[in-house]
Amino acid sequence: MLRRLLLGVLLVAACRPSGRPAVGPSQRIVSLLPSFTELLFAIGAGDRVVGRTQWCDYPPAALSIPSVGDGLPPNIEAVMARRPDLVVLYNAGPNVTAAKQLERVGIHTVLIDLNRLEDLGPAARTLGRLTGREEQAESLAIALDSLAGRPPPPATTSVAFVVWDNPPIIIGHGSYLDQLASQAGARNVFGDVAAPSAQVSLETIVARDPRWIAVLSDSAVPPAFAKRREWRAVRAVRDGHFLLLPGSLFGRPGPRSGDAIRQLRARLSR
Amino acid sequence: MKWTLLITVAVLALLLSVVLGPAAVPLGELLRSDIVWNLRAPRALLAFLVGGSLGVAGAGLQALVRNPLADPFLLGLSGGAGLGAVLAIALHLSGPWALPIAAFIGALAALGLVYRLGLIGGASLDPRILLLGGVAIGAFAAAITTAIVSLADAAELRNAFLWLWGGLSGASWDSVLLIALYAPIPLVVLLAASRPLDLLALGEESAAYLGADVERVKRRVYLAASLLTAAAVAVSGVIGFVGLVVPHIARLTWGHRHRSLLPAAFLGGGALLAFADTLARTVVAPRELPVGVVTALIGVPVFAFLLRRWTIA
Repeated sequence: MLRRLLLGVLLVAACRPSGRPAVGPSQRIVSLLPSFTELLFAIGAGDRVVGRTQWCDYPPAALSIPSVGDGLPPNIEAVMARRPDLVVLYNAGPNVTAAKQLERVGIHTVLIDLNRLEDLGPAARTLGRLTGREEQAESLAIALDSLAGRPPPPATTSVAFVVWDNPPIIIGHGSYLDQLASQAGARNVFGDVAAPSAQVSLETIVARDPRWIAVLSDSAVPPAFAKRREWRAVRAVRDGHFLLLPGSLFGRPGPRSGDAIRQLRARLSR
Repeated sequence: MKWTLLITVAVLALLLSVVLGPAAVPLGELLRSDIVWNLRAPRALLAFLVGGSLGVAGAGLQALVRNPLADPFLLGLSGGAGLGAVLAIALHLSGPWALPIAAFIGALAALGLVYRLGLIGGASLDPRILLLGGVAIGAFAAAITTAIVSLADAAELRNAFLWLWGGLSGASWDSVLLIALYAPIPLVVLLAASRPLDLLALGEESAAYLGADVERVKRRVYLAASLLTAAAVAVSGVIGFVGLVVPHIARLTWGHRHRSLLPAAFLGGGALLAFADTLARTVVAPRELPVGVVTALIGVPVFAFLLRRWTIA
């Protein structure tokens, strides 16, 4: 009885197609970052995406793809259930562990850096090579490279990105949002802080006096802290100069980064 | 002499935290500056009041449970406050005061549960059961909090922890007024219990023989110290260390008489937190350090120094 069971297990294991692609482009892809999902659709490989995170909401066609959860960290079994031959992950700590586990069960994975505008071109090319869409990827990559390489226009206004209000967390130098601001013609007043995000004192925000307070938010009304008395010391808060930026467009680098810059510039000049 | 020194230190700490800050305000404009009036002054006062409250609450609880490791947050209050704050965000309660109020209610709920547990086995608030109950309720609340954070969608939830450990960033005249009106009541209750607290150090039975109404004192001290701590959490999050070490430092200098120990713990706690917050705001400017890090970095060496001096002497 036991032997028959064992034999069965072995047979099933032998019949299971190896996830590792022998040759040729990937046909079943699980994308574990909204930016990768957007890039895959942009290079015409969207029909091969068989799994996404719950955050992948663009393009609208992506919403009909089954979600494998929030991806923080990836749910290995949910990813495997999509029977992918390629899993695309953002290159960060917990994902490296997840990628190793997926490789161990024979699923091909790729870890891609995507933190800044200049990472977009290389990411597009990598995805193009893996999906056999090199030409489309190359033309997208060229456009994205030129976006990243463009010298920023002279700053005509200033902005502070407030991620959280108590304690105040702001966006510093070297982050994607910092790049968006400078490309849109705004100076990030915390551009001297050499960290993607940092805790600062409220009085520093008052002293640096940004013209705009930018908040990643899908809401149309200013954040709750706008009503708090200590925040009224900031001039932009008193003047109601809030930039409420929807996270889907502004919160991630991707093929729509050019749109994000154009929209930000339009709203800043209003 | 001791008192003059302590009061000087306290005044100095308050002055420093108004004069120093990451933004450059010329000394001549100090009294007219918006930054000083609306941000630094309320933050300095809030730091002082919160630090003082934590110092007194810690001293009271250490006497109550007769355990030198007791800390205002040991009895489950930080866990309860954290659960309240996370629930407020998960349920999308908006409004500028939603988080502080929710944290306060969470802390009160934890307080109530621990108090109820402490009464198990008769009407005597058993210190050992109080400690165990506090740790258990705290762990339980922390587990639920973690479950909510890991299951809910909102990335904002992770920020609830930032708020919980946030320190004094949310200081305004509103929060100063709130604490200034609220804290005196439990502070007076604790001070009024000075004499019975002295007796309690001799053991509950001896204290009862010497005329202390032990059960009533224990209930009052527990509730007053916890209510102080709950208010401190609501306006400034969990600030560790002040409530643990300041009472010990005060005890090493002022002895075990609570009539002088409690005021000393108030002034010392206030001075320590005001000074620590000044450092937190300025040393890595324009960035800011979590104030709990600074209270530990200052408090531990001072504590170690005093401990060494007093055990050798």
